[in-house]
Amino acid sequence: MLCSYVRRMALCNGQFCKTLFRVSQSLPVVCTRSFHPSSAAPAIQAPVSKPEGRTKCTLIPGDGVGPELVYSVQEVFKAAGVPVDFETFFFSEVHHTMSAPLEDVAKSIATNGICLKGILATPDYSHSGELASLNMKLRRALDLYANVVHVKSLPGVKCRHQNVDAVIIREQTEGEYSALEHECVKGVVECLKIVTKAKSERIAKFAFDYATKNKRKKVTAVHKANIMKLGDGLFLKSCQEMAKLYPRIEFETMIVDNCTMQMVSNPRQFDVMVTPNLYGNIVDNLASGLVGGAGVVAGASYSAECVVFEPGARHTYSEAVGKNVANPTAMLLCSAKMLSHVNLQYYCDMIRNAVNRVLKAGKVRTKDLGGQSTTNEYTYAIINSLR
Amino acid sequence: MKYRQMSLAAVMAARICMKIVPHIKSSNYLPQFGIILRKAATQSDFDIQHKTPLARRVAAIPKAQYGGRHAVTMLPGSGIGPELMNYVKEVFRYAGVPVDFEEVQMDPKSESNEDLEYALTSIRRNGVALKGNIETGSMSRGVLSRNVALRNELDLYINVLHCKSYPGVTARQKDIDIIIVRQNTEGEYAMLEHESVSGVVESMKVVTSENSERVARYAFEYAKKNGRKKVTTIHKANIMKLSDGLFLETSRKIASDYPDIEHNDMIIDNCCMQLVSKPHQFDVMIMTNLYGTIVSNVVCGLVGGAGLLSGKNYGDHYAIFEPGTRNTGTAIAGKNIANPVAMLNAAVDMLEHLGHHYHANMIHTAIDRTINEDHIHTPDLGGQATSIDVVQNIIKYLQETTKTSNW
Repeated sequence: MLCSYVRRMALCNGQFCKTLFRVSQSLPVVCTRSFHPSSAAPAIQAPVSKPEGRTKCTLIPGDGVGPELVYSVQEVFKAAGVPVDFETFFFSEVHHTMSAPLEDVAKSIATNGICLKGILATPDYSHSGELASLNMKLRRALDLYANVVHVKSLPGVKCRHQNVDAVIIREQTEGEYSALEHECVKGVVECLKIVTKAKSERIAKFAFDYATKNKRKKVTAVHKANIMKLGDGLFLKSCQEMAKLYPRIEFETMIVDNCTMQMVSNPRQFDVMVTPNLYGNIVDNLASGLVGGAGVVAGASYSAECVVFEPGARHTYSEAVGKNVANPTAMLLCSAKMLSHVNLQYYCDMIRNAVNRVLKAGKVRTKDLGGQSTTNEYTYAIINSLR
Repeated sequence: MKYRQMSLAAVMAARICMKIVPHIKSSNYLPQFGIILRKAATQSDFDIQHKTPLARRVAAIPKAQYGGRHAVTMLPGSGIGPELMNYVKEVFRYAGVPVDFEEVQMDPKSESNEDLEYALTSIRRNGVALKGNIETGSMSRGVLSRNVALRNELDLYINVLHCKSYPGVTARQKDIDIIIVRQNTEGEYAMLEHESVSGVVESMKVVTSENSERVARYAFEYAKKNGRKKVTTIHKANIMKLSDGLFLETSRKIASDYPDIEHNDMIIDNCCMQLVSKPHQFDVMIMTNLYGTIVSNVVCGLVGGAGLLSGKNYGDHYAIFEPGTRNTGTAIAGKNIANPVAMLNAAVDMLEHLGHHYHANMIHTAIDRTINEDHIHTPDLGGQATSIDVVQNIIKYLQETTKTSNW
């Protein structure tokens, strides 16, 4: 009696187990069958852009503290395991005898497509008698027409203004920088400012496409068309024409003097700004000053084919050479932008987050941000907070 | 009598204008002349609606390429479009393709053309688009079919479909390799229909020598560039002696410029029969709009269905890439069984067009190996795999490739 009961129980149990087993077996099948991707979910959640193949990048340390900053970047890259190989060139106008030829550098950038560059000092005299500086020659050789400076308040950096987030896009191949100056009569010097329709349209389109890609709302054209009615007028008109193609982006214009005033009093009104050459240079520097100076603002120069990433405000800081006090933040943010550009988003985020963490903690800071730390200490603090 | 003279003078004036206009290349004069033309000769709706190709010449917009990265408009459309676009984005991410998409959503239910206008400006800005099939929900006559409107507004006068068999796919015919070049903007798709008397509807088929010439020229240039041997013109000139006759005549004329390439012609009904029985006799085919859609669907069916092939639409200034047969696939949307290959092939075509041959080749190889070697097929090819299986397998190959070489 008892025996049969036990047997029956066992049988029951067995069946129960079997059914359980069957259910558990069939469950995942059911799951996969009914699973379908909604339009929002990405198909695969595997590692994000962490390829093992290596990317090549041209590196120009530049003058002044450039080599120190570049060293800092290389240390961080090494620690983060970034798959980027550098092709280094010594390129300089002050030490022109040791400088690599322009053709070699330009060729390397053209093949690699990307370049990380420090700042080149421009001497007040020219050893060759030419008017164009080496910077201008490089830009012309590669047609790097658009300079983008992203001015963004960093966490933990105390400045006059908080939450600034503006992008200044500057035409840098023509305008006042055409290197066309001459003394026609003794004591009278003419400096030509060239504005062309093609280049104005090109930079305007660049600005609007940048705004579209980065989900920006507004583009402001900065000009002085009330005085230079033809030159800046053409620039302004080209921007207005181009704006018609972007109905979902707000467009406004502002005269450069007013713009600089607005920038220091109410910088948060600006989103994307598009400017001719000289105004862009001034507004770049002014805006960099708003968020912490030349040491923290990253920039990039674009041509159709390649990009040169360089600090946004161009100062060599040559008085600090060898003192181990320069701020490598700008250079590191440049390198992060570069990684993002070549689809290495994973490493880009890694470095950017590390920089933000160190700045936010505020314990390790270089002199320009009111700290006492050296460049090396700051670099190692960043390396320690990589994760 | 007086009136008659006046109208005669008007006709003369119109004729003179007609003679002058083609010689004027400067776009500044065109709008004014257009108005004069319309006022002088009483033009039909057709004349006004069917914009002259000359009037469409647009000022070139600077190209959207910055630092080696291209901006491309993405029109996901409806049905399976959005999921396929997600696969494309995934694959591009893994292949490290230097392309940024500008996504433009179009609401199929909307009655207004606002979305369409925006999509058009976006394509004008970027020059290139990747597109799913866009549904036109509204049946009202004021709302254009979005697909046709895109083609007509951007003057994408050529549709190219490269029908190539995949050895790994079991299909009715093996080793097919046919290029179908189709006129894409006029012919039966001129959208000129009216009911002249109650119960009698007229639909106009428009063939112009200029468009026929552009199509033929493109086909022969393509054949020359890609080492193709033969071009076949498909027509129905035995019935439509004037319209298809013009098309045929034009292609014969162009053929005389290319003595190295064989040219023959075939009537559409015979062509369809030959296609299903002896498809290997065809190399490059050119045809008008409606025949094009029929023939391309026939050939797609021969090589394995709508899920494999991709089509290219070219104009003078713009290009749109899309799956070869234009079906929305609403029935299988969201079921994870849609074949992602057609859209991925369209993306590969787009990369080729943009000049990113390295990436195009990488993705193309991955697709080929997935289909031909691993035989990972979605149900439309008789397989059991899901869309995600296919995409994952392609990504697996991409990861292998990016291990050794940079992107």
